[in-house]
Amino acid sequence: MAQIMKVRPTKIELVRLKRRLKLSSRVQKIVKDRLSILTMEFLQTARDTVKAKQHAIDAMNQAYKAMTVASGYHGYVALQKELVACEADITVAAGPRSVAGVRLPSLELNEPSGGLRGYNLTQTSSLVDSASDTSREALRAIIELAELQRGLELLGAEINRTKRITNALEYILIPSLQATIRFLAMKFEERDREEKARLKRVKALLAAKA
Amino acid sequence: MLHQDDAQSRYDRFLETYLSGELKLVNAGLPRARKCLADLLEEGQPSVLCSDGTHQMLKRAELHYLESILDDDERRSLMLPMLIEMTGSGNDAIVLCPTGAELKVVAEVLGMEPRQEEHGRVRVYRPQLSVLRRKLKTTTQYAFSARALQ
Repeated sequence: MAQIMKVRPTKIELVRLKRRLKLSSRVQKIVKDRLSILTMEFLQTARDTVKAKQHAIDAMNQAYKAMTVASGYHGYVALQKELVACEADITVAAGPRSVAGVRLPSLELNEPSGGLRGYNLTQTSSLVDSASDTSREALRAIIELAELQRGLELLGAEINRTKRITNALEYILIPSLQATIRFLAMKFEERDREEKARLKRVKALLAAKA
Repeated sequence: MLHQDDAQSRYDRFLETYLSGELKLVNAGLPRARKCLADLLEEGQPSVLCSDGTHQMLKRAELHYLESILDDDERRSLMLPMLIEMTGSGNDAIVLCPTGAELKVVAEVLGMEPRQEEHGRVRVYRPQLSVLRRKLKTTTQYAFSARALQ
């Protein structure tokens, strides 16, 4: 049962409460809309995260397999010698993206321009090319997974916060305002009825005197 | 009595501040100025300036996807990020499509001709919105308008 607020039973108070109820309903509408978007994004991100996780595991498996085959063919030392020369830092473009007020990370692997691999193509086999390709794919999958998992955490936390606000508005504030408005309206009606009864009584007394 | 009045007006002020704060918060990611696809493709790190002063990064993969859909003229007319206006019903939204390029993108992503409410406004339903957002995460942006709350 909604709690009735302690307010003075005046018309100005009733107007003020009605205005407050209208404002609260508008806030509730925004918050609910936001919650529905966040939930939709959360579910989508959760689905994508599951797929990305599986993809990352598969990509890592393939990369290790390809690397093992390549090192078996060329010899570990020879392959290492070839690859040390083409070692390069990975660059990831990172920035925020906003989803209904929640700032989520956005990560993207910067691909090297020109498609150069960096190692000697004449002295290595296609197995090294395959290992390089699968490793890059694994790296891409890990970055995608990192972005999705962090996004999932942030969206979850925001959904919790928004849900608390929605519940407070829906189950406490708005019902309490509505109950108080109803109470004041009934009080004024009662006052009117009393006033009418008093006037009738006075009229009857005056009529009796005359 | 004066004390009670003061407390109540403080309460109203709090609600008012909260409402405007929520509107500001949900619209913080709106772009201050949008850029066309052709310009963004030429940038080293494509991004747009948001209303809260931060930069929103746009993914190259998404830009290349849009590039593959559109021709040269449309690339110059498509302004990014595309805006999705929330209607307040929770079941659907409006994609603002001032030019034909946006309409073409929406049709291509959804795989169907979308329902056009009036000129430049395309209504998309929740499952369609989900598809649109999944494919164009950084190149679309939600917009909450006060009109929808009336």
